[in-house]
Amino acid sequence: MTILEIMERTNARDTKLVTAFVKDAIMKIQSSTEMETKVNKQDITKNVRDYDLPVDMIAIHNVSVLDTEDDNKYKKIRRLSQEPNISEDTSP
Amino acid sequence: MSYDTHRTYAFHHQGKKLRLYHIARNSGRVVDAQGRVGGGISDSLVYPNEAITNGLRIEYTAIVKPFVQQDPETTSYSSLTEVTSPKETTHVNLNRMLSLAIVDFVKASLAERQGDIQLKEYYMKEFFSKIADNESNKNKVYIAHPIDTFAVK
Repeated sequence: MTILEIMERTNARDTKLVTAFVKDAIMKIQSSTEMETKVNKQDITKNVRDYDLPVDMIAIHNVSVLDTEDDNKYKKIRRLSQEPNISEDTSP
Repeated sequence: MSYDTHRTYAFHHQGKKLRLYHIARNSGRVVDAQGRVGGGISDSLVYPNEAITNGLRIEYTAIVKPFVQQDPETTSYSSLTEVTSPKETTHVNLNRMLSLAIVDFVKASLAERQGDIQLKEYYMKEFFSKIADNESNKNKVYIAHPIDTFAVK
């Protein structure tokens, strides 16, 4: 469906406004469903705990870590339900 | 040399950061300075204990190619060309059902701008209903049961 058809169906005249609403709608759809997923890979550094989340992320689908002992397969890891008691380890 | 990573790693989501922990499996049966022996096995969360190139994989939802030049209902996904500055003739990269859901969302947003909250709520309900329809359309599975040769009918 083109933007023009959306404008005709909604009786709207402002193309930029309708385009902005369409972007909002796509974000809303992606937030509640897994219509389109992307993959981000990062190096794991020894004794480093914090890693950046992708800037264009709407929702996490899953997180995996490479298993080099099992033919380099990425295996999904669990999410901790709560933060550990140690807030920072200064000598990991 | 990472192994059993699905058992030995866990994560926690903290703001814009992902906190990755290694689960160190410790045997509690160690004699301490007073000669006491620990009672069982305890696990502790520690920082990752090794470097792994491309070791962390995050799969996430994002807005990918929202606007395209070709009609996505007649062109294969890999042949679609993304449009960064959409015009009136640009296609929204969604199937028919989700495009109709977007029409409802735009109607809801326009109603909200005019201060008609009741109309906005009606169109948002239609919007979510179409998204739900689109999801359930993927889950229609027909199961065929074979009939046994000596089945009593």
